[in-house]
Order: sequence, then structure tokens, then C-alpha cells
Amino acid sequence: MKEPQLMHRESVLPNVLAGDAPQAAESPMDSDAFAGFYERSARPLWAYLARVSGDPALADDLMQESFVRFLCASRPEEGEVAGRRYLFRIATNLLRDHWRRPRQSSIEEIPEEFFASISSSASAELLGPALACMRPRERQLLWLAHAEGYSHREIAEITGLAAASIRLLLFRARRKIASLLRQQSSPTRRQP
Amino acid sequence: MILKPCSREKEVAELLRLGQWPAACPPELRAHLSACRSCGDLALVTEAFQRARFEAACAARITTPGALWWRAQLRRRNAAVERIGKPILGAQIFALAINLFLVVAFLAYQARHGLSWLSWLEQLPQAYSFHLNNLSQSALLHPGWSLMVLIPAAATLALLSGVVIYLVSEKQ
Repeated sequence: MKEPQLMHRESVLPNVLAGDAPQAAESPMDSDAFAGFYERSARPLWAYLARVSGDPALADDLMQESFVRFLCASRPEEGEVAGRRYLFRIATNLLRDHWRRPRQSSIEEIPEEFFASISSSASAELLGPALACMRPRERQLLWLAHAEGYSHREIAEITGLAAASIRLLLFRARRKIASLLRQQSSPTRRQP
Repeated sequence: MILKPCSREKEVAELLRLGQWPAACPPELRAHLSACRSCGDLALVTEAFQRARFEAACAARITTPGALWWRAQLRRRNAAVERIGKPILGAQIFALAINLFLVVAFLAYQARHGLSWLSWLEQLPQAYSFHLNNLSQSALLHPGWSLMVLIPAAATLALLSGVVIYLVSEKQ
């Protein structure tokens, strides 16, 4: 059995949605506070970047850059949940900047097999090819909504899209990926 | 595409959010899911993404926060230095503009009053020997020339020493 499977889910990912993340102190974030925040936020952020970009090496780079920018940013002191949302916003902007660069680094050119090679786990084998069929924006929306559990308003804040359009975009993306997942889980149902 | 939200979608989302799906799902909601496409999609997609999130988070290669902390501090320091350096750059540009203005004014003045002092330059190659001693001697014989040579030389020296002092202090 692989090491990651031995780890308990709650020990790896803090349940942010349940509101059990500790609130940041009112004072500016010092080294120790950052270490704690990093410990709780790094893995979800890496997962987001890796699965949306399909490139673990890129996820490493963008995650580090996101944290550095987060520390350099002069933002009003807020709780950890808001800080994490801000971090995801930075990461989303970095991803967008990456996709806007010349075509050799475009996500559109990444072969479908690459997504499946991120992890050999069952869920990755199922979700990888389905995600590869989605547009980058759709991947972002789906991940933020269904993996991170952000509300439509929060997703709008992170992605910079209009809050009113999130619902429709998400509905379409969900329907599309659900069809793909059903097709993959039961290949015999596919049309010849 | 017509957006048709199901009235039980929130109920399903809540179960998924709390991690109680499918263990704590009532049978009638389970039956609803098999009939309702919207709720079925929600459950299927959320489960897949949450599992993928967990597995990706386990596979994450996390560096030490200390390195990132110091990298951020360095970047903040550099940004601060850049902010402080802007007025210095402005002052340097201003000084350069003043110097250029003085040079242009000097040349204009000389052009208006003739360039007779340049005659020694023309004579220089024809001189029997070109040595600094000769220059200083000629400067002594023609006091006007000595000023012409000394003032720009002193100004250049002052400017260069100022630049050297600035560069040394910046390195420190």
C-alpha cells in the first residue's frame, strides 16, 4: 500500500468548510504564524494548481510564487479563511498569466495522457481524462466549487468573474464532466 | 441549456460537505438521486473531486515555509530599496540635466565669442614634442587656457568621485 493512502484525510486537509481553521491573529503575520498557515494551506493549494494545470512541476513553482506574493501583499488583516481565499486568487491569476504566455507552455498542448500520469490512483485515472476534456476555466470553477467547496460569491472573488455568471458556468461544466465521468465508469454504454 | 435547479440540491450538497454521503443519506433521498439528474451530477462530481483533492494533497511536494518566508522578506526589501532609489535616480537625472545645460551654455558662449582658445589644439600635433610639461608651461604662459583646462578637469574629477562614493556606499 502506498504511503499517501495510509494517511488520514483530516490529517492532510483541514476542514476549512466546517470552519475549524483557526483565525489569524490581529497582528501582522510573523514567521511562526506563516508556518502554521503554510502547513494548513500548501497542500490544498498544490492540489488545485496541479489538477487544474495538469503539471506538477508547474504547480510547485506557482505555489511557491503564490505564497511569496501573499506575504509581500499589503492586505488588510483578515481571518485565515479570507487569507486562504486571497491565496487562491493569487494562484488563479498566476495560472491565467501562465496560460497567456506563448503557446509552448499552453495547457491546450498538454496531451491527455499527461493528466492521467499525475497520479496512478483510481480517482485520478477517472478524473484525469475527464478534466483533460474540460477548458481551463471550467477546471478552475469545478475544483473551487467541488473540491474546495467555495460558494459562488467566493469563486467570483477568486476568479474575477461576475458572480451572476458563476452559477450558469458551473452548471454547464458540472453537467459536462458528469457525462464524461459516467462514460468512463461504464465504457460499455458508449456509442459504437 | 436551461438551468433547472432542484429543490433538494442544497440537502445533497450539505451531506457531501459534511462528508456524510452516502452513509448518512436517507433512503428516500437516495431514491431521489437516482431519478434527478441535477442531484446525481452534483453527488458524482463532488465525490470525484473530493477524492482527487485528497489524493493530490497527499502527493504534494511541500517545501519548508522558512525558505519562502525569507524569499518574501528579500523581495519586500528589494521593493523598498527600489522605492527609496526612485528619488535618488530623479536627483541623478536632474544633476545630469544641469551639467548638460552648463556644457551647452558654455559651448554657446564660446561659439559667440570665438573659438580662439582652440588654436592651441590645432598647433598641438605640430609641436616638436607633446609632453605634459609643455602643456603646463603653455598654461603658465597663457593664463586663460589654464582655466579652460582646470575647470572642466576639476568638475569631471568631482563628478567621478561623487559617483564612486555613491557606488561604494550603495554596496555597503
